Amino acid sequence: MTVFLRVFILSVSLMFFYFFYLYIEDDKYYPGASFQTSNMPLFELEDLYSDDVITNSDLEGAHLVNVWASWCITCRIEHGFLVKLSSQGIPIMGLNYKDERIDAINWITKFGNPYKFIIHDLKGELALDMGVTGAPETFLINNGKIIAHYRGEVNEMIWSDVFSPIIKKENLFNDN
Amino acid sequence: MIIEAAQFLTILATGLFFLCFVFSIFFNVNDVNIIKLISRIYSHSFFLFLSSFLIYVWLAINDNFSVLYIAQHSNTNLPVFYKISSIWSAHEGSMFLWIIFLSLWGAIYNFSVHNNEPLKARTVGVISITTVGFLLFLLLTSNPFETILPLPPENGADINPVLQDPLLAIHPPTLYLGYVGFVIAFGQAIAFLIEGNSSINWEKQVRFWSIIAWSFLTLGITLGSWWAYYELGWGGYWFWDPVENVALMPWLAATAFIHSLSASSKSSILRIWTILLSILVFSLSLFGAFIVRSGIIDSVHSFANDPERGLYLLAFIGILVMTSLILFSYRFTILISNKRIVSLSKESFISINNIFFGTLIFSTMLGVMYPLIYEFIYDQKISVGAPFYNAIFVPITLLACLFLLFSIESKWQSKLKFAFLNNPLIISFVFSLFITFLSFKFYSVSRAWTLASLFIGSLIISRYIIVIYAYIFHRKFVNIYSVLAHLGLGLLIISIALNNDFSSERALNIKINETETYKNHEITFNNLQLTEGPNYESVKADFIIENKNGNKFSLNPEKRKYFVRGQITTETAIHASLLKDIYLTIGDQLDDGSWIVNVQFNYFIRWIWFSATLMIISGLFLARSLNRVHS
Repeated sequence: MTVFLRVFILSVSLMFFYFFYLYIEDDKYYPGASFQTSNMPLFELEDLYSDDVITNSDLEGAHLVNVWASWCITCRIEHGFLVKLSSQGIPIMGLNYKDERIDAINWITKFGNPYKFIIHDLKGELALDMGVTGAPETFLINNGKIIAHYRGEVNEMIWSDVFSPIIKKENLFNDN
Repeated sequence: MIIEAAQFLTILATGLFFLCFVFSIFFNVNDVNIIKLISRIYSHSFFLFLSSFLIYVWLAINDNFSVLYIAQHSNTNLPVFYKISSIWSAHEGSMFLWIIFLSLWGAIYNFSVHNNEPLKARTVGVISITTVGFLLFLLLTSNPFETILPLPPENGADINPVLQDPLLAIHPPTLYLGYVGFVIAFGQAIAFLIEGNSSINWEKQVRFWSIIAWSFLTLGITLGSWWAYYELGWGGYWFWDPVENVALMPWLAATAFIHSLSASSKSSILRIWTILLSILVFSLSLFGAFIVRSGIIDSVHSFANDPERGLYLLAFIGILVMTSLILFSYRFTILISNKRIVSLSKESFISINNIFFGTLIFSTMLGVMYPLIYEFIYDQKISVGAPFYNAIFVPITLLACLFLLFSIESKWQSKLKFAFLNNPLIISFVFSLFITFLSFKFYSVSRAWTLASLFIGSLIISRYIIVIYAYIFHRKFVNIYSVLAHLGLGLLIISIALNNDFSSERALNIKINETETYKNHEITFNNLQLTEGPNYESVKADFIIENKNGNKFSLNPEKRKYFVRGQITTETAIHASLLKDIYLTIGDQLDDGSWIVNVQFNYFIRWIWFSATLMIISGLFLARSLNRVHS
């Protein structure tokens, strides 16, 4: 009886921890990641550097949209990784979120520009339509369809665990 | 420079804590000098670690935004109080505070236990290694000292406005004090198992600490529930949120533990229960930390995080708990008491109590785990909500209370002689039946569970009032604090049941200067104002409420928009009276210009807080009385 009790307690607790180990190792564990497919909302917004209007037709093929702002400290931490990604040939569009134009331009001048172009979304209209809750957030878009969305800082680990599998699956960015 | 110094102090303290552990395991702890050495090293490393924390507090007060964490969670415009509380508003800082409390309990224990027995040295060793585990977690995966140089931001970010509330600033610290307070019981239990000498009465020494920790845990949970009631604007006080559940589980285990302790500190009966429960309480506290900090569960409470943290914590908690359990099963034979539990003795009732509490813990764990297991297997998110928990908690709690009633008269190690006719229980039975009948007949209480809760709550209260009567007039000895705590339980059961039965709410569409009637109250929308606070702008409504006796009062619910984060919060307006709260929140404005206003009548809600307070105060006084006996 006592042997049974001892073995029972030990094995139940071991199974408990083992389950959580499996759960954590599972990649859907990232709480910031979402893979619901939706259409990229329609928009007409100005470019950060000029008065040119950017619309959906300027977004073609596969690319990332990164939501950032000069007031966002995490964006600054994330920035280095984005610069690296863009140097590897991944096209990234910036979505400058609720930010004064001059602050945003100064920020880019200071820290470098990984973006193909930057949409200036002063009132957060497009961001609202896309379901952005804060900055930074990053979307993976393929031919006008959002196929992955990550809330929070994208870094080496998030890139390889969240974005790389779906990029491989959808066979994107191959020509680069 | 000062930041690096603070970090260095923490690293140094980690090393010294580890040294404590090494000494307590590998050196001869029967040697008084070694025991004194361990005790001294512990004090020194605690002092270093505390200095590091105080420097951090100072950095936060002075807006040193080159510290990344402070820059992300504090702001120059915040009042000093919130600058300090911003330290525990997110993951890194709150972990820092958690470890400070953990080592603080150890330090107080180390300082106030004057005997030079091996048990003390081993306990300090166990507390040290637990502290080291968390310190390494802090330094390796969630370093609060990380800097952003050379360009610190000027104003900082902001703390979440929902958290800018005095109550919430003290809710986490009290809760943490409760959680980690059980490290002493855990440490002593493990020290006892390492020593392997069944004649040591570790239970007696540990009661005082555990009851204080229990009081803090109860207070922390109550504060959280109170905060949720007036801040979130949903009107409830308990939501069966996964993180509430992971706080409830250690509380249940702790409650069972302190009951078991009172049995096994008198004789070694129930020792297996006590040891196992002491490990369980602390493990569940750590499990709570794991759940909240690994981001496994989405909740109001969860922190932004990365999986590395979850993995580290899981590994650390796993090693700690498995080592304890292996030690437990290795020493199992010395725990077995040669005395048998006499049936219908106080011990027998306490073990029944343990079984009930065990069932509640298991069910809560099931509710927390089931969605995870389901998601793991079927890849779909589901949630387990209030109906599940209510279906389990209500009958089991009421059943457990029935046993409590019989246990009042029972004695240690002897059979309860139950006189059917000449029994105080008869008086309370008749009284409770009368109360239940009255509420059924005149106050339209008709739901079966409410009536049952009312009946059993009244039974507990009246039975304990008879105990108090006997204590005062017949000098019959009782533990008066325990009596008061159980009175609190009776009151809690009644208040929860009545709150659940009577409370009601309605959403009104109302324009300015209109009047609506709800349950004999005339609600007039008087005015609407735009105002600006220090870091938000708000819409403030003015309502005049008149009850049927012609008493008037005004209520001003608010909607705030915070500048820095753009977050919108609702500020409820509550008119509290003895029996009910009138609770107003404003929602959105509709196209026709009317506003959605939610009116709630929450009955007996104050009684819930009062019952919990009664339990907390009794706990603290009980601990004080125990301490007096010792010294």
